[in-house]
Amino acid sequence: MKVLVPVKRVVDYNVKVRVKADGSGVETANVKMSMNPFDEIAVEEAVRLKEAGTATEIVVVSVGPTQAQETLRTALAMGADRAILVQTDVTTEPLAVAKVLKALVEKEAPGLVILGKQAIDDDCNQTGQMLAALLGWGQGTFASKVVAADGKVAVTREIDGGLETVELKLPAVVTADLRLNEPRYASLPNIMKAKKKPLETVTPDALGVDVTPRLKTLKVTEPAKRQAGIKVPDVATLVDKLKSEARVI
Amino acid sequence: MPILILADHDNATLKPATAHAVSAAAKLGSDIHLLVAGRNAAPVAEQAAKLAGVAKVLLADDAAYEHALAEPVAALLVSIASGYSHVLAAATSVGKNVLPRVAALLDVAMISDITAVVSADTFERPIYAGNAIATVQSSDPVKVVTVRTTAFEAAAAANSAPVESVAAVADPALSSFVSAELSKSERPELTAARIVISGGRGMQSGDNFHLLEVIADKLGAAVGASRAAVDAGFVPNDYQVGQTGKIVAPELYVAVGISGAIQHLAGMKDSKVIVAINKDEEAPIFQVADYGLVADLFKALPELQQAV
Amino acid sequence: MTAAAIPYTPPLKEIRFVLDHLAGMAEVAALPGFEDASPDMVDSILGEAAKIAENILAPLNRIGDVQGANLGADGIARTAEGWGPAWQALVEGGWNGLPFDPTRGGMGLPNLLNTAVQEMWHSANMAFALCPMLTQGAVNAVQLYGSDALKDIYLPKMISGEWTGTMNITEPQAGSDLAATRSRAVPNGDHYLVGGQKIFITYGDHDLTENIVHLVLARLPDAPPGVKGISLFVVPKFLVNPDGSLGARNQVKCVSLEHKLGIHGSPTAVLSFGDEGGATGFLVGEPNRGLEYMFTMMNHARLNVAMQGLSIAERAYQQALAYARDRVQGKPLGWTEGQSKGIVNHPDVRRLLMGMKARIEAMRGILYTAAAAVDVAHHHADEAARGRAALLVDLLTPIAKGWCTETGQQLASDGVQVHGGMGFIEETGAAQHLRDARITTIYEGTTAIQANDLINRKILRDGGATANGLLDEIAALGGELSGHADEALRVTGAELVAAVHEAKQAVAWVLATAKQDPRLPAAASVTLLELMGVVAGGWQLARAAKVAVERLAEGDGDTAFLSAKPLTARFYATHVLPKAAALRATVVNGSASVMALSEEQLFGAA
Ligand SMILES: Cc1cc2nc3c(=O)[nH]c(=O)nc-3n(C[C@H](O)[C@H](O)[C@H](O)COP(=O)(O)OP(=O)(O)OC[C@H]3O[C@@H](n4cnc5c(N)ncnc54)[C@H](O)[C@@H]3O)c2cc1C
Ligand SMILES: Cc1cc2nc3c(=O)[nH]c(=O)nc-3n(C[C@H](O)[C@H](O)[C@H](O)COP(=O)(O)OP(=O)(O)OC[C@H]3O[C@@H](n4cnc5c(N)ncnc54)[C@H](O)[C@@H]3O)c2cc1C
Ligand SMILES: Cc1cc2nc3c(=O)[nH]c(=O)nc-3n(C[C@H](O)[C@H](O)[C@H](O)COP(=O)(O)OP(=O)(O)OC[C@H]3O[C@@H](n4cnc5c(N)ncnc54)[C@H](O)[C@@H]3O)c2cc1C
Repeated sequence: MKVLVPVKRVVDYNVKVRVKADGSGVETANVKMSMNPFDEIAVEEAVRLKEAGTATEIVVVSVGPTQAQETLRTALAMGADRAILVQTDVTTEPLAVAKVLKALVEKEAPGLVILGKQAIDDDCNQTGQMLAALLGWGQGTFASKVVAADGKVAVTREIDGGLETVELKLPAVVTADLRLNEPRYASLPNIMKAKKKPLETVTPDALGVDVTPRLKTLKVTEPAKRQAGIKVPDVATLVDKLKSEARVI
Repeated sequence: MPILILADHDNATLKPATAHAVSAAAKLGSDIHLLVAGRNAAPVAEQAAKLAGVAKVLLADDAAYEHALAEPVAALLVSIASGYSHVLAAATSVGKNVLPRVAALLDVAMISDITAVVSADTFERPIYAGNAIATVQSSDPVKVVTVRTTAFEAAAAANSAPVESVAAVADPALSSFVSAELSKSERPELTAARIVISGGRGMQSGDNFHLLEVIADKLGAAVGASRAAVDAGFVPNDYQVGQTGKIVAPELYVAVGISGAIQHLAGMKDSKVIVAINKDEEAPIFQVADYGLVADLFKALPELQQAV
Repeated sequence: MTAAAIPYTPPLKEIRFVLDHLAGMAEVAALPGFEDASPDMVDSILGEAAKIAENILAPLNRIGDVQGANLGADGIARTAEGWGPAWQALVEGGWNGLPFDPTRGGMGLPNLLNTAVQEMWHSANMAFALCPMLTQGAVNAVQLYGSDALKDIYLPKMISGEWTGTMNITEPQAGSDLAATRSRAVPNGDHYLVGGQKIFITYGDHDLTENIVHLVLARLPDAPPGVKGISLFVVPKFLVNPDGSLGARNQVKCVSLEHKLGIHGSPTAVLSFGDEGGATGFLVGEPNRGLEYMFTMMNHARLNVAMQGLSIAERAYQQALAYARDRVQGKPLGWTEGQSKGIVNHPDVRRLLMGMKARIEAMRGILYTAAAAVDVAHHHADEAARGRAALLVDLLTPIAKGWCTETGQQLASDGVQVHGGMGFIEETGAAQHLRDARITTIYEGTTAIQANDLINRKILRDGGATANGLLDEIAALGGELSGHADEALRVTGAELVAAVHEAKQAVAWVLATAKQDPRLPAAASVTLLELMGVVAGGWQLARAAKVAVERLAEGDGDTAFLSAKPLTARFYATHVLPKAAALRATVVNGSASVMALSEEQLFGAA
């Protein structure tokens, strides 16, 4: 079974982003970029499936700027077999990415697509679900365990009240949550080998996909600062405030 | 055109999250229809009908909807979406799972996790883990949106909207439910807990931490401590919150009998809501607390236990 | 108590800047055999090494300090919690083999790149990083001088890190003075029987690997006295069977572990060889040339210990900076609305932090420049180019070892100072850096030994030609910059010219007085070393500033980063370079006073 893993290049999770003064977005120039952490988990899962003999080939894909090649190389160094960069300088929305991925799935015919459950820049949590919809495949989102066998995949999902297991017909889409696995560090020999693995570049146009954004970002602002606190006279008032004002209990 | 909201429930009770989504929808200024898709979910439809602002409840009762699997529920939503300007859901694990699938099937962009409604087509949503807020506008014919529940009031239960049945649509049969493991009884892990209740030297003994534990269990909270409490042997090391202990940022942090030394604050100052209970009104913890209660903890804690 | 680990963020951007613009990564990558070291490969490697430093090694730094290494009842040294898996991560990642021969399992990458990786590992956890450092040193010695048989047996496993290496030089009576070495080796068929006691052996025993390969200095029965009669031997902890499997336990016993001021996590062993007749050892290279071979290892190790000075300073700096931003003590002078009230805005705290930052960048420039020169000296196609690079390495090694370690200590102390009282408290972690830094001026030759080397072998031996050559080059750069349109560059250039002038006078004085009384330059040696370090640091900051200003003029958009370079250089030029005059005065005027008191007077014989 071939596994396709889309990976996104995002601002590193350790970076405290700063909003641009003109409100047009956040500062990304000269900021450390890394693979989206959820995507690292997705790559790791694919590599484990390959090591277990379930997967035969791992293809990683990134939709983004030329620099996303670094992200793809990282995935190759972790154990993916080849990479495809869908090169675009447009800030792609999840729907556009899902359409690009659909076009690639039609070409590559993977048995499973594993994505991260969300990208830590736009925090959308949409792409996997959208891809499954466009392909007419089943979806196992927020996965904390994935067992693939006999044309099916059992996915244990992290849901609000605990865990839930669903079974999907293959081919299917899975999105990775944090507890699915702990991604490995790439070894030095594998980093060096990754350079020699194939990395193909295509454009959304060549795949026949229009990636023009549908949404308009009017502005980006700093979140509100902490309001000055108050003293409450008694426990009853405190509990009332926590319930009705802060809504945390 | 009316607004459609997907209800979140377990076939017996409506999840409170949905009431928050209803308030968000109310800001859009059209009729609100609530879709309850489930199995034997009539009781849920009844509860939904009570939510203020809901004009109509649609009940799709079918075995395919019992576990809110994304594939059949999305198919159902898409089949009725054409009459609506917006499709909403609370940003719960169900809403986040189903709505993007709906959006893609409708070929529209989706707006996740909104924290404010600016106008019928414009919303605020946090990006970069809440370090920035984006205002986004959609020109799609149907707006598909999930709602961050903490940003909107819950709609009151003061209504009796009609309940209408809608037919199930063909189940794409791509997935099936296997099992669920819900509600762990043990207290959550400190750094992952939504609520943390910590005690300091003011607790006076390890036995007195029981006063915190009973409240924590009622709230599903984790129990933490100041270093002074750890050093005094009241509780084990791994309870320590602070510069040299654990760093936590829960929704609610309750500091009881903790003075608020900077080393302690370093570990909890990013909590969303901070409550301090301390008998010294000059204690520095009050400078960071959203709600401060000047009181003897031995009096306040039993009262708190009763009240929550 | 469970102390939260103090985070370490590898300064990848600084490292990359120095690699590219001061050390000449591109030129190194163009040397024969280094084709793989392309810019994107360098990025990938540094990025992954940074993750290991930050996420695996750094969190173990404090644990190692608190738990230390302990000798078990079974005579085996045990490392701290988590160290075994961390070592395993390095082995699985193939990191130990980075600079070594690909035909023996190495990666064949430049020493320069290895240096950048080592910087991060020493910053993350110096006590731990000593183990890969010494193993790499041992590999170097075997690779250069060992027989093919020795190489076949030992190199693959040492390169992979399955086995570690040590350096067994010091004996109770032979520390700085290796002529006093007493350990002996008696020929016995195809091997030797080694006996004697070695002390202070870093990672002399541990539980990280199944075998340890000791490189031991010892005397043959017929050896001439002094340093000309020392040979080098491989003595494995476990003998190795012909098929590569482990055989009998050799006669190497860990007698005890030292209790130390710092680097608690690093086991420092007393090793006893041949208690029951003789440990099996194998001669490396030719008899009586051991010291020469060991110096190969030591020169590698000296530059690495110099790196520890930089690394620990970087770690201390990151911690001090974070504290200074958070800690509030009064409203800083000239504070304006919107500025942070942290002590970082007190001018004196700034002075401390700038002093750390500027010296750290200076050290990085020196060390990476030296590391690149090592690559050129070994790999350049042109013999003359190799020779020039080798001379530069030889000159820079004692300066780097002496100045970077002394400076590292000073900066670790400054880091404590920024923390105020909290700096003195162990939980804060700032104190550990100071304690750990303290060893760096001692092992691999004390600062005095480096200074002796600088004066005797690097200055007097060639009549000052190499030293003056470098100083002339620095003066030329200073002269060029002193006419620059940029004010910070102008100030830097002028101060650099003045400092070089002082250094040249001091060198001239050494050359002149050595013939009169060798004690005079010896008394001035450490001061001269410091003077040379101060000037070399200024040289590197001036180079960095010049590149940065050029890049800005070319339209490079990273203004915040680049415009800091000339300003940092100017800080150094006005705070550190002026010390050159005082140091020169001490060298020239102060040496006679060093030995002026009689020994009786010193002891106050009254
Ligand atoms: C290097 C270093 C690292 C440190 N790291 C940490 C750390 O990680 N975490 C940490 O917490 N601390 C840390 N500290 C310690 C910190 O400085 C404080 O000493 C500690 O937080 C104080 O704990 P406390 O607030 O429980 O105790 P106290 O400061 O003694 O405060 C007790 C509080 O309880 C109140 N109180 C007493 N009785 C009652 C009552 N009956 N009803 C109501 N209120 C009452 C008092 O008014 C007082 O405000 C560190 C200190 C150092 C030097
Ligand atoms: C933690 C630790 C780890 C070590 N690891 C190793 C190891 O792995 N392998 C190993 O072989 N050794 C190791 N050593 C030993 C280390 O290299 C020696 O301690 C060092 O070389 C100094 O020797 P010494 O201790 O005998 O001091 P001494 O030589 O007695 O020096 C004492 C003082 O006299 C000065 N002095 C001595 N001779 C001269 C001179 N000619 N001119 C001017 N000043 C002089 C020194 O500068 C010093 O200030 C380690 C030591 C320590 C503490
Ligand atoms: C072992 C020990 C014993 C002690 N014993 C006692 C004792 O018996 N009694 C007692 O009362 N206290 C005692 N102290 C406290 C000691 O006096 C303080 O630690 C010291 O005054 C520094 O204050 P601080 O720790 O709050 O550091 P801070 O004031 O926070 O200083 C941090 C850094 O900021 C700098 N800084 C702060 N303000 C300024 C400024 N305005 N301008 C320029 N730089 C500034 C400082 O120089 C320092 O580098 C002790 C401390 C220790 C560690």
